[in-house]
Amino acid sequence: MPTTVELALLVFVLGCAVGAAVLRDVLASVIAFAAYSLGISIIWIVLQAPDVGLTEAAVGAGVMTILLLLALANTSRPSEDHRFESISLRTAIVVVVFVAVMASTIPALPAIGGPDNPVVDGEVSQYYLDNAYDQTQVHNAVTAVLAGYRGLDTLGEAVVVFVAGVATLSVLRREDFA
Amino acid sequence: MSDAEQPGLYVESTVIMTTVRVVTPFILTFGLFIMFHGADSPGGGFQGGVIAGSVVMMLAFAYGIEATRDWLDSRLVVAIASFGVLTFAGIGLGSILLGGTFLEYHRYPIEKASKYGIELVELGIGGIVASVIIGLFFVIAAGFGHAIDGGDES
Repeated sequence: MPTTVELALLVFVLGCAVGAAVLRDVLASVIAFAAYSLGISIIWIVLQAPDVGLTEAAVGAGVMTILLLLALANTSRPSEDHRFESISLRTAIVVVVFVAVMASTIPALPAIGGPDNPVVDGEVSQYYLDNAYDQTQVHNAVTAVLAGYRGLDTLGEAVVVFVAGVATLSVLRREDFA
Repeated sequence: MSDAEQPGLYVESTVIMTTVRVVTPFILTFGLFIMFHGADSPGGGFQGGVIAGSVVMMLAFAYGIEATRDWLDSRLVVAIASFGVLTFAGIGLGSILLGGTFLEYHRYPIEKASKYGIELVELGIGGIVASVIIGLFFVIAAGFGHAIDGGDES
């Protein structure tokens, strides 16, 4: 059973997500999206994943919001009379059915932090936890996996970020960033 | 389309400028801490790089995007990003040259090679992320008229 804090976070995140989807003003939508990211990052902390929470807070809530706001500042924002997007019945039904199908898989997930979780007695994660310090000399097992055991994947991720910068420059036909 | 022509986008505020001036060194230190200390605590290159990059965005908010753009050396931004990729790839391929497999830190004849290797890799990742984010910030702030009109605006 979720605690009060978790319930409050869930309500907050769901509210922000729905707000980001249905608000007609793009600026309001961006702000709702930032609040959503912040809520999700706190949920990651609650779920004992501080590395992911830190990333979500820095990238999702911080930088993403700034970049979206900058993009908005460079486009014209029509002033609207309506506060909310008009929602067609068909779209609403499809979304509700999709969410219901996804939600029906939730009971199949193992309990958070449960002693019988596949992660706990899984051979792979136990191997990392047992040997990470001896083999990579770093205490944070996440970093050990990231830069040690799965280093090639991380090189790919880093290069993706680099390529994103290069691609933006070439699409906008500029030769330097600043 | 440039920001200087848009009145109201930048408001000079003594409060914001003073706050940013005081807070900036701490945020940069925090970003570097997250980057280096990611080996022993939550964090790492991706997170620390974003925090370090956000320092430049804060400066831009306080002192104006165009002023910050003039202050910043664009060659440095590109250099840090490329240096990050080369560092990471170099460490990975270097261990192959020393007879090991990709990113096999123990091949390097240094004490605690794995720890320092991972920290160097995190620094490289941080450099890539920070400079690409700074770059995206300035590119998007410059507007998109450049691409559409064929380059007489900047």
